[in-house]
Amino acid sequence: MIAQLILATLTGLLLLGIHRKVIARIQRRPGPPVWQEILHMLKFSFKSTWIPATASTVLFRGVVLVAIGIWTAAFFVMLTEGSLLVIFGIYMLHKIVEHGFGLSSGSPYGKFGGVRSVISAASEIPLFVSVAAIAIVTRSFDIRDIVAYQTVHGPLLFIAFPAAVAMYIVILSKMPFGPFSIVESKELVSGYKTEHFGIWRAGLEVCNGLKTTVLLATFLMVFVGQLPILWLAAGMLLLVVSLSFACALTPMLSPFDSVTVQTLVTGLMLCYGAVLFIGVRA
Amino acid sequence: MKRWNAARIAMAGASAGITAGIVNMLGILPLWLYAAVLVLSFPVFIIGLFLWWMAKEGKEDIPFIGY
Repeated sequence: MIAQLILATLTGLLLLGIHRKVIARIQRRPGPPVWQEILHMLKFSFKSTWIPATASTVLFRGVVLVAIGIWTAAFFVMLTEGSLLVIFGIYMLHKIVEHGFGLSSGSPYGKFGGVRSVISAASEIPLFVSVAAIAIVTRSFDIRDIVAYQTVHGPLLFIAFPAAVAMYIVILSKMPFGPFSIVESKELVSGYKTEHFGIWRAGLEVCNGLKTTVLLATFLMVFVGQLPILWLAAGMLLLVVSLSFACALTPMLSPFDSVTVQTLVTGLMLCYGAVLFIGVRA
Repeated sequence: MKRWNAARIAMAGASAGITAGIVNMLGILPLWLYAAVLVLSFPVFIIGLFLWWMAKEGKEDIPFIGY
């Protein structure tokens, strides 16, 4: 399993590298090589490491271990086709972890990043409605049952298209350089990551790689169904390229606008969920 | 941190994860406990590994300090 975790981390980092490359090409820049994010992680792991004098030492180190730990758990749940609720509980925990990252350093940039992470929790509400819609259609929260439902009835991407769109927006909000990436906005330097340096930042990059793989693979399993490994890789690549287009062609919204758009999506999803619920009961 | 101590942390993390995996395959350890061990050991392994290859050993180069 450790080998699979390392492979998943490297895959996620490679996909993030492809994401950066595609954004750059759309914007007519050469962009970094696709393996840049892997190099980033390795580079940070070789750098001198220190902890700022203003930091809470325990939280500063501990939050990195927690960040890797929670996405290890999410990867495990995804691989064993466990409950979708656990994965999205972990997604919520990640917000708290980001907040912890920001607060642990004592830096104002980190703090603002952490605070923005909390206000961008609005992005999780469409996710819950999306998960609820899936549960209404398939009558289960287990990925195993959702996959089995799709082998009989066809992909949920067609059956519950608005739920797929809502979850796509949730993943978009987690991608760097996206319209909702307010936690890493450049006016905050690197947001909640600003003061984490050396191996602690490398640990954070490991978490990002795992998170990307888990979110993309879960999306495909939940909305397309069980795929052979090569098709899964191709699907993840396609998903990343489409996300890159969305990120390259849309400006980063202000924190207020970002939350407003996500709240509107939630409202629409609630209407959709209500219609689905009434349809199922009727 | 000394290089050997960092190596010990990384090895402890890796061996805990691998042992739990083997014991789970033999049917002795339930899946949820294997997952719990993995969640705790993988971050320790990663951070230990980074600390290990970053740790200095022996005499360092003298940095350029001006003419």
